Amino acid sequence: MITAQQLHKAFKTKTGTVNAVDGVDFVAEDGRITGLLGPNGAGKTTTLRMLYTLMKPDRGQVLVDGIDASQDPAAVRRVLGVLPDARGVYKRLTARENIRYFGELHGLSKAQIVERTRVLSEQLDMGEILDRQTEGFSQGQRTKTAIARALVHDPRNVILDEPTNGLDVMTTRAMREFLFKLRDDGRCVIFSSHIMQEVAALCDRIVIIAKGRVVAAGSADELRDRFNTSNLEDAFVSAIGSDEGLLA
Amino acid sequence: MNNLRWMWCVVRKELLDIGRDRRTLLMALLLSPLLTPLLLMGVNFMAEKRVKTEMDRVLDVPVIGAEHAPNLIAHLATMGINAVDAPADLEAAIGAQQVDVALEIPESFGEDWAAGRPATIEVISDSTRRNAETPTRRVRAAISAYGQQVGALRLLARGIDPSVVQPVAVGTRDMASEEAKRGLLLSFMLPYLLILSSFIGGAYLILDATAGERERQSLEPLLATPASRGAIVSGKIAAACVIGMAALLLTLLAFKGSAHIGGGSSRMLDVSFVAMAKMLLVLLPMLLVGTSLLTLLAATAKSMKEAQSHMTWLLLLPMIPSIVLMVNPLKTELWQFAVPFLAQNQLLLKVIRAETIDPAIWAVYLGASLALVAALWGLAVWRYGQEKLAVSG
Repeated sequence: MITAQQLHKAFKTKTGTVNAVDGVDFVAEDGRITGLLGPNGAGKTTTLRMLYTLMKPDRGQVLVDGIDASQDPAAVRRVLGVLPDARGVYKRLTARENIRYFGELHGLSKAQIVERTRVLSEQLDMGEILDRQTEGFSQGQRTKTAIARALVHDPRNVILDEPTNGLDVMTTRAMREFLFKLRDDGRCVIFSSHIMQEVAALCDRIVIIAKGRVVAAGSADELRDRFNTSNLEDAFVSAIGSDEGLLA
Repeated sequence: MNNLRWMWCVVRKELLDIGRDRRTLLMALLLSPLLTPLLLMGVNFMAEKRVKTEMDRVLDVPVIGAEHAPNLIAHLATMGINAVDAPADLEAAIGAQQVDVALEIPESFGEDWAAGRPATIEVISDSTRRNAETPTRRVRAAISAYGQQVGALRLLARGIDPSVVQPVAVGTRDMASEEAKRGLLLSFMLPYLLILSSFIGGAYLILDATAGERERQSLEPLLATPASRGAIVSGKIAAACVIGMAALLLTLLAFKGSAHIGGGSSRMLDVSFVAMAKMLLVLLPMLLVGTSLLTLLAATAKSMKEAQSHMTWLLLLPMIPSIVLMVNPLKTELWQFAVPFLAQNQLLLKVIRAETIDPAIWAVYLGASLALVAALWGLAVWRYGQEKLAVSG
């Protein structure tokens, strides 16, 4: 379970201070897929970076399985599987070696790594690409490698930053199945997206973020009821107050 | 304990990664072992050959007014120095490097000679031209030998023992050891070449693993693992040091090999295994300084390009002590062993000259350089801890 309490994060730029995240609050339960939905530049990636301890919030608290991220970031990273926005894989290593490297960094034994690689490659359908060097991989193959690498230690909590970005329809569908599988295993899954249909199809709970704030949260049905619209897109537009950044 | 495990894991991955990049690995490992001995042997061979030919070959020296001193000209001819007619414009010929050295014998020479006054001869050459040095020295030596010989004869003719005008006889006892003499040429270039290759020996790997990793966007996932920043930095530095050490070892072995193949003058490249071990011990801290400095610079740079642009001034750094020592040779003092580059230079010279190195010197040297490494390492780890580094785009 991941809890974000009143997260604030500001960046200094040449033109002044930008409040990228300005009071984000939500709870992501185990066995649920929580979607962070928001237009480009809304602060989704910065929020996620604070969740996986890459950034320290200026104010507020992150709790992962009850562990305070600012107190013990290493312990938080141990129970998290992260697919960051930057998902570079090592080009000269094979997919299997990429996965093994992260398995070793998570302190897994050789046998555990072999077993987890087998399971993940089956779930992500990586059979053919597993022993190829990742140089020249397609976007989808790279994403699969990065996800397998992120989940090698079988984490209870999974954070994915725009996992379907740049994937074709078939791969996106497979990815969706994979996320459902993670949820049905009882994991806490958080993913971010700016694509409405995707969030609607996947998420048990939707957190809409705009300009660094949570403007609405709930299930798809709750959001439709609350904004009194028949489709989610209209609910989203009324929640963020404009249709800016919606066209991806 | 966990830190060591992470570090070891990073070392293995980085070595596997560069191992897949065959060409780069070969360049990093073999370039210096192949080029350095060739360079040293070539320079040595050329220097020796030049001295030999300049000393033995018959010199043609333009002489103005040769007719005024026929005996001197005959004497010079017995020493392989032939007088030839001077070109019309001697100055221009020297300027155009057609003539190395020339003589001018004034008309008054014969008169002065006969009267027993010092007779003037002018040796004309360009003192800034290095290839004119040896011929000029030969001509001067030949003339002054002739002068001494005639002077001695004149004294004898007057019934005086010529040794009367030599109240002091100066002898020379050279205390330089055989190794030091053999190593004279080596001492100019070898330290610089070795220091340079240890200083930047791990450069490719460390730039690729720091700035490159960031540019390829694989740093953020790496930093999201539980591995500590210190272990990651140390692992990368250690991997670069493995490559650098291997290159150094191969370079030293190449010296040994070429000494056996080449024979003759290349014998001086022969380095004993004990000396090799000492050199590696001297160079290891340099390797650590180089790679941790590069880690820091590469982690601070915005891109791989910016990181690579640092190489220009880094290449010049190890040259500074060599240049300073050339202009202003220093006596060995203890403080020098705390100054990076200078310390390595002095220590390598000691090893080449087969001098014993005081434990106090080792202590100062290792203490100072490891402290520097620790400081640079600390800065690099601090840089890895900053949010800006992790967020690449």
